[in-house]
Amino acid sequence: MSSHVAIEAQGLCRTFVADGMPLHALRDVSLRVSRGESVAIVGRSGAGKSTLLNLVGALDRGYQGSLRVFGQELRALPDRALSRFRNRQIGFVFQSFNLLPNLSVGHNVLLPASFGVDLPHEALVERARTLLSEFGLGDRWGQKPAQMSGGERQRVAIARALLLQPPLLVCDEPTGSLDGETAAHILDTLRGIQRAQDTALVIVTHDPDVAAACDRTVRLDRGRVAVPAEAA
Amino acid sequence: MRLGRLLSLVASNLRSAWVRAALAMVGIVVGTGLLTFFLGLGQGLREKVLERIFPVNQLELEPRAVQIFGTEQILGQEPLDDARVRQVAGLPGVVRAFGKQKSSFPARLWGGKELLGYNLFTEAFFDGMPAAVLRAELEELEGAAAKRGVTAGAHSDRCEVDLDCAAGLGCSDGVCVPIVWADRFVEMPEVVLPCSVGDRCPQGMNCQQSRCALAAEASPPVRCVLPAAAGNGRDLQFDREVGERAAPCGDPLGYCGAAGTTCGEGRYCAADHPETRLGWCERPLPAVINPLLLEVFNSDMARSLGAAPIGSLAVLFGVRFHVALGDSYFSKDAEKQRQQFKQAIVVGFSRKAPELGVALPRELVRHFNARLKGRAAADAYDAILIDTASNQDVPQVIVEAEKLGLQLSRKSRAARTFGTVVLVTSLALVLLAAVVLAVAAVQIAQTFAMLVHERRREIAVLRALGAARLDIAVLVLGEAAAIGLLGGACGGGAAVGAAALVDHLAAQWLADVPLLPQGFFAFPAWAVPLAIGVAVAFTIAGALAPARRAMRLDPAAVLAEG
Repeated sequence: MSSHVAIEAQGLCRTFVADGMPLHALRDVSLRVSRGESVAIVGRSGAGKSTLLNLVGALDRGYQGSLRVFGQELRALPDRALSRFRNRQIGFVFQSFNLLPNLSVGHNVLLPASFGVDLPHEALVERARTLLSEFGLGDRWGQKPAQMSGGERQRVAIARALLLQPPLLVCDEPTGSLDGETAAHILDTLRGIQRAQDTALVIVTHDPDVAAACDRTVRLDRGRVAVPAEAA
Repeated sequence: MRLGRLLSLVASNLRSAWVRAALAMVGIVVGTGLLTFFLGLGQGLREKVLERIFPVNQLELEPRAVQIFGTEQILGQEPLDDARVRQVAGLPGVVRAFGKQKSSFPARLWGGKELLGYNLFTEAFFDGMPAAVLRAELEELEGAAAKRGVTAGAHSDRCEVDLDCAAGLGCSDGVCVPIVWADRFVEMPEVVLPCSVGDRCPQGMNCQQSRCALAAEASPPVRCVLPAAAGNGRDLQFDREVGERAAPCGDPLGYCGAAGTTCGEGRYCAADHPETRLGWCERPLPAVINPLLLEVFNSDMARSLGAAPIGSLAVLFGVRFHVALGDSYFSKDAEKQRQQFKQAIVVGFSRKAPELGVALPRELVRHFNARLKGRAAADAYDAILIDTASNQDVPQVIVEAEKLGLQLSRKSRAARTFGTVVLVTSLALVLLAAVVLAVAAVQIAQTFAMLVHERRREIAVLRALGAARLDIAVLVLGEAAAIGLLGGACGGGAAVGAAALVDHLAAQWLADVPLLPQGFFAFPAWAVPLAIGVAVAFTIAGALAPARRAMRLDPAAVLAEG
């Protein structure tokens, strides 16, 4: 496997059991995403987008087939190693931001550093402040998320995802809760980071504009890849 | 997870749910408070009540007795002599053993005028105790070590007799120095023991010239004569100005010196018997009394007698009283020639001394028993005092002693019964506290189950950001531990405060109750930390199931809930 490959899935299947019946969320999905590449995953509700995102984001390893992220077969990792891998290699951005309401903006951004990062605290704080400043939130460090608008909260969430400079950003409907103008701004932000840091960007979206802004689109239909990946 | 970050998250989560945390903490506060309170009470009763009366690892053994028509009778037992004492000393777990001999002769005592303004009179009972048994306690209650330090460098006024020195000082080598009273309770104090041919003298002494004497004496006692001014020896020797300044005789059987000379430092002229002025220069009998006697006096007797309560034991050191050996208020007196009237002086306090009586050096009591009641009365001990290596050795020692035909004395039996009652009651109360804590743990479990359910999305986010399952469990248990720590500290602090309040109120309201201890509670250094530790353990135990549920949450499923 070449070193520029971020994600490589071969024959990826994910089956759940509901009411005693098997439910095939993903069937024989093959996917390859390179560093510096942005890929939009689209499809109807229930097509398997979020399932694929959870697998790629190392939140779920109950799959069949092969899934390597930066060359690491995720299923082989025990929980602690998988968590560490997630912490260092993957940044998450959610549709509903998922900021912790009890923590200030600054502490939300610093949250990924809570889990065994060896960097000095001062350096982490400095980086968090820099990220917030870059996103126009330099003066909001001590505020609580409830005091911010949706767009601001999403920028805080992106800053949190970028704190440890992960080589893979996984975004689940990152603009789904935002108005058009704010959504465009967030998308520009994500694309800018992806280009500047040679980060792989995987976005699950229903928004055609978001999909169009990505290098490539993967359409899922009832758990299968409906449109083969095509170069942008 | 980093400790600092963990603490920050725990604090943040508790702040956000402080009402629920506070409610969950109530049970912990109550449980820990009860636990600490009862631990302190149990320990206090043991230390301040039981140990004051009779230390657990110190036993008194007597010949086994049987009840016959309501009275205890000793049947067919070998006497408690030195051989039996050695036998008991050899039992496993016994550190040392000593014979104790009670006085078997009639006696009375009077004194207290210098303290109360008038004399009190009573029948007298003596326990002859080996000095080694009382030594440590005498020194502890007197603070003898500190005094010796002062004595070493002290040089005060010149003196001939104790009377020349200020209160608390005695005459030694011609100068007044602080008196170390504990040093005066020795096996064979400088007391002359009159004897007749055939009388028993203490071991190593023989009856020579009508007194018990060592074969080779470095400084034999000096004969003295009390002035003829008024009365006989029994009255004059108790007048300190006369008794201590009586003229010693240069020759034991001959001429006595000029009036105004003295018997010497700390000595007085003790008449041979009540009907003569001829006597020996000697020191007062060193007497040890039980501190409980002071409490009985203060609580009951003082009011009845119209006397002021005696503030502390310290004022009793050096108080002199008078004893009439062989003379009784109630029973038949010994013949006058065998009676002895002597001064005695309080040299210390011990809980091993009889509650209503006086402890004297054992050899003195043996001699007086022999002189006044015959040799048989002096050859056997009444009890054997033993120290065990530890409290754990006590049951086995009792079993072994029973095989030797011995049983615990009434005092020891009462102490052990009381100790058992205290232990069982304490355990029951601690168990009650444990039940309260267990109920609190169930409450903690319910609270944390709700918190975990409400925070499952936060937990999923933490997992997405890199928290391992163990991190999540540590976070939940950390919150529980914080509640336990805070609740335990509050409960422990409240218990110590409540105990202090109870002691304060008891001291105010129950001041007249005899033998009231100086408080009912004792909190060893480990008590509050132990209670807090137990509280933390119970809260963690209560939070285990919710923590397990939290660590098993599927973050993907939770995040998909929208």
